[in-house]
Amino acid sequence: MENLDYARLQMAFTLGFHIIFACIGMVMPFFMVLSHHKWLKTRDPIYKRLTMAWLKGVAIFFVTGAVSGTALSFELGMLWPEFMKHAGPIIGMPFSLEGAAFFVEAIALGFYLYGWNKLPEKFHWFTGIIIGISGVASGILVVSANGWMNAPSGFDYINGEFTNIDPVAALLNPAWFTQALHMTLAAFVATSFGVAGVHAFQIFRKRNVELNTKAFKIAIVFGAIAAFLQPLSGDLSAKDVAERQPVKLAAMEAHYETKKGAPLYIGGIVDEENRTVSHKIEIPKALSFLAFGDFDAEVKGLNDFPDDELPPVAIVHYAFQIMVGIGTLLIFAGLIYFISLKKKNWLHSKYYWLLFIIVAPLGFVAVEAGWVVTEVGRQPWIIHQIMRTEEAVTPMPGMKYSFFFYLFLYTVLGLTVTWLMNRQIKSLNQTKD
Amino acid sequence: MLYVVLFFLLFSLLLYVLLGGADFGAGIVELFSSAKNREQTKDTIYRVMGPIWEANHIWLIIMLVILWVAFPAYFNIMIIYLHIPLTLVLLGITLRGVAFVFRHYDAVVDGSQFWYNWLFRIGSFVTPVFLGMSFGTLIGGKIIITEDYENYGFYDLFMQHWLNIFSLLVGLFYAALCAFLASTLLIGEADGKARKHYVKNSAFFTSVLVGLGFILISFGYLNNVKFIKDFIHNPVSLACVALSGVLLIPLWKAIKKEYRIASRYLAISQVILILFAALYAHFPYIIITSDKEVSLLENLAPDATISNLAIMLLIGGFIILPGLFHLMRSFNMIKVLEKPQKNNSK
Repeated sequence: MENLDYARLQMAFTLGFHIIFACIGMVMPFFMVLSHHKWLKTRDPIYKRLTMAWLKGVAIFFVTGAVSGTALSFELGMLWPEFMKHAGPIIGMPFSLEGAAFFVEAIALGFYLYGWNKLPEKFHWFTGIIIGISGVASGILVVSANGWMNAPSGFDYINGEFTNIDPVAALLNPAWFTQALHMTLAAFVATSFGVAGVHAFQIFRKRNVELNTKAFKIAIVFGAIAAFLQPLSGDLSAKDVAERQPVKLAAMEAHYETKKGAPLYIGGIVDEENRTVSHKIEIPKALSFLAFGDFDAEVKGLNDFPDDELPPVAIVHYAFQIMVGIGTLLIFAGLIYFISLKKKNWLHSKYYWLLFIIVAPLGFVAVEAGWVVTEVGRQPWIIHQIMRTEEAVTPMPGMKYSFFFYLFLYTVLGLTVTWLMNRQIKSLNQTKD
Repeated sequence: MLYVVLFFLLFSLLLYVLLGGADFGAGIVELFSSAKNREQTKDTIYRVMGPIWEANHIWLIIMLVILWVAFPAYFNIMIIYLHIPLTLVLLGITLRGVAFVFRHYDAVVDGSQFWYNWLFRIGSFVTPVFLGMSFGTLIGGKIIITEDYENYGFYDLFMQHWLNIFSLLVGLFYAALCAFLASTLLIGEADGKARKHYVKNSAFFTSVLVGLGFILISFGYLNNVKFIKDFIHNPVSLACVALSGVLLIPLWKAIKKEYRIASRYLAISQVILILFAALYAHFPYIIITSDKEVSLLENLAPDATISNLAIMLLIGGFIILPGLFHLMRSFNMIKVLEKPQKNNSK
């Protein structure tokens, strides 16, 4: 493999690592403040204990997200200096606003973590809300910068020069809204099912059932609602991609032949050399409808794009299938939760809890798959139709070592965080009322 | 508008050197304390730095964003040639950051504390050294900018400019500055015996700082480092250094007499003087390569970008600074020592 491939691998790995912690850091504060609110209202000590336990989780996830995010802000320049040289001045606005939002979040976190019994109760609780809101704002802003790479706007590109720069137009690029909406919902789905699953596991093992049931209920609501909204946002995203990045859409669907009334493939094995897809389920005319809202619309196939502008089709197709498949599965899991609100005896069935244990990690798998779709699907471009990834990469050789360095560091860090969480849960279960 | 952006760049740099520096320095003080004093120092650091340490390090990100948005050509050279030392800085920031949180938020207090503590202490020492080395690299005059990758090896282009004695001296100087700041700050945060301990520390690190500063300038002068030569021949910079020398006397007195506030402000003014002297002599040519000087203001971002960034920074500043000020004030007034985690362990 070449330097470029290792640089891409490193970017993918570090982003993939960061995104998990970023999602948790964005969403868990909401669980925490909800539990905190219930404590303030009912003075039920269980809620206080739950809030304190989640708070420790938030502190650990937040610091891991913050340091890996700091590393990413350097890596953007270290790995892709030519990209940053040209893109930096154009997409400065989301990044400077994101810096401000992150700052607000850190200040609020300082108040919240250290303010117990020192600050007025309501103000203290309110700082928890600020953590959540500024976290979500940071996420939206960073995704807007990514949206710009998919839908470059806010400049004129004349003879290889970026002129007439309009930072506001770049911030509000055509992709920002659909991408930000999809990612925010995804963060809620993944974190909610993840946290709910952890507590479901404790209930399954009959540990501290009362506390864990309360925790499960707070966490799952967010995810169940977000899972229902996600297909709507996914539809907006698909239509947007169909319009602006038809080649990405074709790769997502492994759609080779340009056709009117194009069928939708579910699953299938992609043979990139012969440009065929075998073992798939075919739904007639569905792709045309999903992409353009018209069963007979023409969908341009991969064969009609220049060869040197095609992304790796198989990876994008498989990742897309994984994302959609998991999304569908989680809607059903959400549905089962809502039904269980009526059928309370389900809560005594161990299969009910087993289900939520099994789906716990899936939301994060879907988030990773979704990022593979959007990032690998944009290749070979780093800025869609403007700059190729190979033109952006650092001239420094030896990215191989850099990749393995981060692989080692983050693997150790990830394992440590998992181990710490395990200790948190154990010590939470040992506490007596 | 450019001046607004420059102001925020220098302001973030100053705050990062001060607050981030005090944060690193706290770890260095802990590293150089006797085992007996370490526990005490650990608790004090948690109480004093805990609420704001996260915010302290965001100044670095703000600086980075300002650089790449407004000064893309300068940032491009910096980020390509500082790839390795900055990666080491990131390693340090990551390890000490997580170690600081893990040691206070781990649900079980056991043997793993040993690892968190040492990661935090050693990380706190090496990170400012690498940060200082990165700055030393920018001004050391050894960067070779070329497209000719045939005739230059990896070592010539990406190693020798940062891996040398001059850069190392700058790094050690910055680490000493951090330790000096932190120990002087901690004087005001402790009582009785502990305060005596920080007074000693503060005196020690002041001496180290002055000694290292002298060695750094002599070494740079004898080895014809252009930055140091220009620094010495610049009357304003010299005046600043002279003033900081004179101010050492009241600082020493304040430290000896355990004046909390006076010693703190005098320490901060030392840092401002040193930073100003260093930047003034060469501003805006902050990258010195083997054959030219690169100005920060070369190939600036377009006006629309600069104005937009300036407005964003002003808005951000209005939101953040009062919040940060309130945060510091809220927790600086709390003087009760607490030992938060030990009660929760079982």
